[in-house]
Amino acid sequence: MKQFVFVLLVIALVPAWSRAQSRAVPRTADGKPDLSGIWQVMNTAAWDIQDHQAQKGVPAGQGVVEGNELPYTPAAAEKRKANFANRATADPETKCYLPGVPRITYMPFPFQIVQAPAQVTLLYEYAHAVRNIFMNTPHIEGQLYWWMGDSRGRWDGDTLVVDVTDFNDETWFDRAGNFHSDALHVVERYTLVDADHIGYEAAIEDSKVFTRPWKMSMILNRHREKNFRLLEYECFSF
Amino acid sequence: MRSRLFRSIVLTAGVLTVAGIWSPRVAGQASKNRPVIAGCPSVSAKFHPCALEKAKTFSPPRMPDGTPNLQGIWDAPLAMGFQNVEDFPGDPSPGGFGPAVTVIVDPADGKVPYFPWARAQREENIKKYIDPYAQCLPTGVPRQMANFRTRQITQSGNMISIVNEAGGHIFRVVYMDGRPHLSPAFKLWMGDSLGHWDGNTLVIETTNLNGRWWYDSMGHFASDALRVTERLTLVDADTLHYQATMEDPKVYTRPWTIVFPLERIKEKGYEQMEEACHEGDHDAAGFVLGGYQPYLGPRFPQ
Repeated sequence: MKQFVFVLLVIALVPAWSRAQSRAVPRTADGKPDLSGIWQVMNTAAWDIQDHQAQKGVPAGQGVVEGNELPYTPAAAEKRKANFANRATADPETKCYLPGVPRITYMPFPFQIVQAPAQVTLLYEYAHAVRNIFMNTPHIEGQLYWWMGDSRGRWDGDTLVVDVTDFNDETWFDRAGNFHSDALHVVERYTLVDADHIGYEAAIEDSKVFTRPWKMSMILNRHREKNFRLLEYECFSF
Repeated sequence: MRSRLFRSIVLTAGVLTVAGIWSPRVAGQASKNRPVIAGCPSVSAKFHPCALEKAKTFSPPRMPDGTPNLQGIWDAPLAMGFQNVEDFPGDPSPGGFGPAVTVIVDPADGKVPYFPWARAQREENIKKYIDPYAQCLPTGVPRQMANFRTRQITQSGNMISIVNEAGGHIFRVVYMDGRPHLSPAFKLWMGDSLGHWDGNTLVIETTNLNGRWWYDSMGHFASDALRVTERLTLVDADTLHYQATMEDPKVYTRPWTIVFPLERIKEKGYEQMEEACHEGDHDAAGFVLGGYQPYLGPRFPQ
């Protein structure tokens, strides 16, 4: 009987809780969560996505990788070590190249989401990088080698799910030498948890570099400052 | 010679980045192939009054908030990527652009109204310096609207985004919420763009530009005092009358105005792709070897 009452309670309360949640976030005319706005992380993943102590010029930070460990193959683990040792010049960011996905998300710069029903466009202050997320469409046929990949979105309930493929092997995950190959497949999940915060997850698969899929997660914070706007970081113009 | 190098860089960057799946698209086309656009002559000086007259009787599609709907992906068939904002005699090299008529509608002589020193600097620019765009630097304004291939306009809430395909990564966000311009401390490649509606016309005022880009591949330039006022008006469902007036009291004797049409890409499912310019650009070093120098902005007379 106790169990029965508990089940009844759960049945009664879950929808109410869901409705309360769904009322809390802004929505577009078509009822989808409205991700429009200017966002930025408040973490140190740009330096190192894993747990790391402070160094000169590097703030300490708890990692964003679930479980903290990255499942590199033995060969890839060696390469990562070499990357770390040579990071001052080997990091593609030092050449001002487009930083790839998900790295662009947690660079220490804001980005703007422009949301329309058929396309969500991400505009980044860093190097005027752009991602066009085309909704409910298939990936382009054939392998491309794009810096920012080919992004295809869909709504899973109130979560924007973005499937990103067709990467080149020239970008890293951070300034600590964590890397991937052109077999990288990223599935991002953007969930508005309240009006000013997006729960962001990126699931990573890359069979050439990792022995299993892994995931990172973090919060994107809305910029609420009056008249806030993207400025420019035109990296290679300096 | 310069223009051939320039094209080679654009094409090399493009081909490298799309990795062989390049599809031929409508880039800048010489106007001789298009005598009429939206029922108007395809020469800027004639298109300008004709298209504005047509716009008076056209009722544009509207956004839910009642403002004209300019959304879409737009090509600039007359602007030719701004080979030259003035008359262009044509490029005799293989595959070179044909001659084109100036996009300047005011002054009537179709010339940028430079101070004498600035006219001389324009000549020097083309002899000594690399077109910043050929180094994959941002286009600035108004070249963004004339650039090769397409740009996408999206209207969302209190802002309008204009995002280009070609030229690496170029976009502008136009704020429509009545905010003030940025402090003069900011000098940006793409400037600070604020917009408002004048009837059915989108008016964009851009300041805070850095004066480090050229209007075209022929060395036409501005300073960081430039103010650009753009006017975008739908002439019919698939054609925009694009007008930009440039004021820069440090470089020009008077304001000057360019006009050209933007045409909607009607291909269903057309998507702007990634063009990673700087990342794929292994040719810029060739310019330096050829004796050209990076352009760092105008040098004012002492």
